[in-house]
Amino acid sequence: MHKVAQFLLTVWLVLTLNFLLPRLMPGQPLADLDNPLASPLPLSQEARTRILAYYGLDRPLAVQYRDYLLGLMRGDLGWSIYYNAPVSQVLVGRLRWTLALVGGATLLYLLLGGLLGAVSAWRRGSVLDRTLLVATFATGAFPPFFLGVLLIVLFGVRLKWLPLGGAQSVTLLEGTWSQRAADVARHMALPVLALVLTNLADVYYLTRNSLVQVLGEGYITVARAKGLAERALLFRHALPNALLPVVTLAALRVGSVVMGAMLVEVAFAYPGIGLAISEASAGRDYPLLQGAFLVTMLSIMAANLLAEGLYVLLDPRLRRTS
Amino acid sequence: MTWRGATCLILRDRLARIGLLLLLVFAAAAAAGPWLWPHDAWQMFDAMLPPSAEHPLGTNDLGYDLLAELLQGARYSLALATVAALVSTLIGTGLGVAAGYYRNLGFVVMRVVDVFLSVPRFPLIVLMAAFARPGFLSLSAFFVLVGWPSVARMTRARILTERQQEYIVAAHATGVPGPRIVGRHLLPTVLPVAFARFIAEMQHIIVAEAGLSFMGLGDPTTRSWGMTLSHASRYPALLISNVWEWWALPPGLAITLFCLALAFLGLGLERLANPRLA
Repeated sequence: MHKVAQFLLTVWLVLTLNFLLPRLMPGQPLADLDNPLASPLPLSQEARTRILAYYGLDRPLAVQYRDYLLGLMRGDLGWSIYYNAPVSQVLVGRLRWTLALVGGATLLYLLLGGLLGAVSAWRRGSVLDRTLLVATFATGAFPPFFLGVLLIVLFGVRLKWLPLGGAQSVTLLEGTWSQRAADVARHMALPVLALVLTNLADVYYLTRNSLVQVLGEGYITVARAKGLAERALLFRHALPNALLPVVTLAALRVGSVVMGAMLVEVAFAYPGIGLAISEASAGRDYPLLQGAFLVTMLSIMAANLLAEGLYVLLDPRLRRTS
Repeated sequence: MTWRGATCLILRDRLARIGLLLLLVFAAAAAAGPWLWPHDAWQMFDAMLPPSAEHPLGTNDLGYDLLAELLQGARYSLALATVAALVSTLIGTGLGVAAGYYRNLGFVVMRVVDVFLSVPRFPLIVLMAAFARPGFLSLSAFFVLVGWPSVARMTRARILTERQQEYIVAAHATGVPGPRIVGRHLLPTVLPVAFARFIAEMQHIIVAEAGLSFMGLGDPTTRSWGMTLSHASRYPALLISNVWEWWALPPGLAITLFCLALAFLGLGLERLANPRLA
């Protein structure tokens, strides 16, 4: 209950911040909108009227705030200057690509990181353990977009195995269902790989350390003493307990994966939310920028809340105390 | 443990040694590089020159010497990361220690920390950067604003366990004043935690600054690693020729190596605190 209240408070803060920032920032980014000569974009009269109506800058701040909140409840995020369409409509089209990237990458980096971490802990101190440690830390040190650029050069330009960017080929939009699925998968491969490689280190290292600790516990020694096979010991007794902290970590990392996805999208011209934010800021499309910001923030926060609930379900010890 | 003792112990870890050495190289390049290298980062030459003795990394499409830009970028990126991470760590540690020792203050501070930590950092920085075209000071302020809460939470947790120790109880019993207990006994115990957080903050800031620039939200007049990368990525023929090898690769590798050096140092610290993990 406490968590939900805190969540709602934070949501309200984020909404208010989103309202106040463009109005209070020095330089008054919105002030030029009603001045046809100072505007950075040649806006049509119609577009300018729409934006001014949305921000309602001529009305008192409290009225603007009330209208902003009421509009949000109706799902009204404003009108995109660049696309000349409702922001919510633009974002719905973009959101699925970001969700696909983030979802796919999260699943893969958790699996791979957990697996490598378990191998490392099991063979602790070996050459394999040390190699895995250095290798995951090395790929984790890359900025996601820079790794993306390197992957494009290697697999796209040099080897020509995979497309250089985008989410699907225009030529295949008319193709059969299976052709299109394969095409989308081929476009997703490199961005997802960049995200997996840059997010691997934390999960790998935590699984390894957590398993090393668990393997030193008394109940593992007892299990071994009663003659349990090593494999059963690892998978049935040690790993489930060692993976508990990994769940928390995965929840904490949602924000970091989304940050990576936003940057990787720009590198691959992948049409998700991150690319929308980048384009919107280049074209000073403030309504789109703010809409994308809200959607990103609220999704990450909702994911964190869900993960927290999941953690309580997984660990019975927490249920009794709370 | 004395500082010298701690340094000796860290240096026994091979990865930490590599990390520290790399950091020193970067610091030296940032401090002395722009001063030693004869070309200035704002000086124009012929555009798109390939690497030569005169320009080891060539020049970009505006004719800037790319080595000069790399060295100037090191100075900017390192200064930003150090300043912002240091201020976050100082504020966070101060509040964390005070919140750990004084219960009522702690409750208030921790509610604020909870709220701050549940707001995703990067999108927030993106929004702030989009509305206030960022310079060195405003960027530092943004990173401090989102950076201090995690330091505060971790240092407070450390204080909460430490104050249960008998020597603290004894100090209370003998009437040592509270501020003195905090300053003399409790503060030193959080330094390893605070330092580990400082390293993590620096890593985050370096990547986030580069990311902001890459998304087109940096300050176009500065020379930072991220800005060079961002500029390179807008050059249409970057990837299909081999221009990227001297334009995009050096700043990208610089960011990567710098983050790796910090990660190795952090790893060494963690092993020092928990030798069972090695």
